[in-house]
Amino acid sequence: MGMKQTLDVINRMEADGIIGRYAIAGAVAAYNYVEPTVTEDVDILIAFDSGHRLQTGLLTLGPILSYLKDKGYSDFRKEGLLIEGWSVQFIPVANDLDAEALAAADEVDLEIHPNQGSVKTRVLRPQHIVATALRVGRPRDHLRIVQFLEEEAVDIEALCDVIHRFGLRDAWLTFCRRAGIVDPCEIKSVL
Amino acid sequence: MKRPKATYPDISDILQRKAEGRRDIARRTFGEKIAMMEALRERLAPFKQLRERRRAAKSVRRSGP
Repeated sequence: MGMKQTLDVINRMEADGIIGRYAIAGAVAAYNYVEPTVTEDVDILIAFDSGHRLQTGLLTLGPILSYLKDKGYSDFRKEGLLIEGWSVQFIPVANDLDAEALAAADEVDLEIHPNQGSVKTRVLRPQHIVATALRVGRPRDHLRIVQFLEEEAVDIEALCDVIHRFGLRDAWLTFCRRAGIVDPCEIKSVL
Repeated sequence: MKRPKATYPDISDILQRKAEGRRDIARRTFGEKIAMMEALRERLAPFKQLRERRRAAKSVRRSGP
C-alpha cells in the first residue's frame, strides 16, 4: 500500500476510460521540484468530458466513485477517497489555467521503492503549480510560492508568462508585497 | 539596576547546516521524496491521532449539555 499502488489504480482508471488525461497537482506535485512538506492527500487534476456532465450542466464524479467502489475503494478521508493508503482528491479542470497545466504536464517514470518497480505518471510543471497556488491564494499556497522562488525551482520567465496570460498580475503583485520581495517579473523585463 | 548584557552563542553554523540539509532533501528524486513522506506520515500517525482526539473532545465540550 502506498503511492505506487495509488497511481497504478489511477492509471487503470485512465486506461479503462473512466477518467481522461490526469496529472498530479498540489503539494505532491511540488515534491518533484522542492523540499517536501507533509500532506495527507494527493490532488489529481483530471480532464472532464461530456460524459461526466449532468443535464443541468453540473459536473458529476459519480462514474469515478462508482468505478472505485466496485474495486473496493469507498472510504472517504476528509474530502478525498482513500486509495491504497492515500486520500485522493479528483479535481476536474475548471479554468483555462488548469487546462493548460494539464496539457503541459510532465511525463515521469516514478520509482518510489526500488523493489516495487516504477510507475508512469504526469506531474504539473513548476510555473503552473505556482500560478495555481497564486490563484488559490491561501497562506499555505503563498508559502509554497516562496519555496519555489527561494529554491529557484521555477523558471521565472515561464512563470511571468503564465501570470501575464492568465490575468494573475494583481494577485502576483499582492503576493510580492506581502512576501517583501521585489517583483521578479519586473526585474526580468528591465534586463 | 542595569541588567548585564546577555551573551548568546553564535548558531550560524547550525543554521547553515540546517539550510544545507533542506537543500539536500530538495535535491532528492521525486520518488525518494514520496517514500520519505510516506515514512514520515507513519511516524506522525500517533500525533495525528492525538490531534484528532483533542479536536473531537473540544467539539463535544462546545456542543455541551
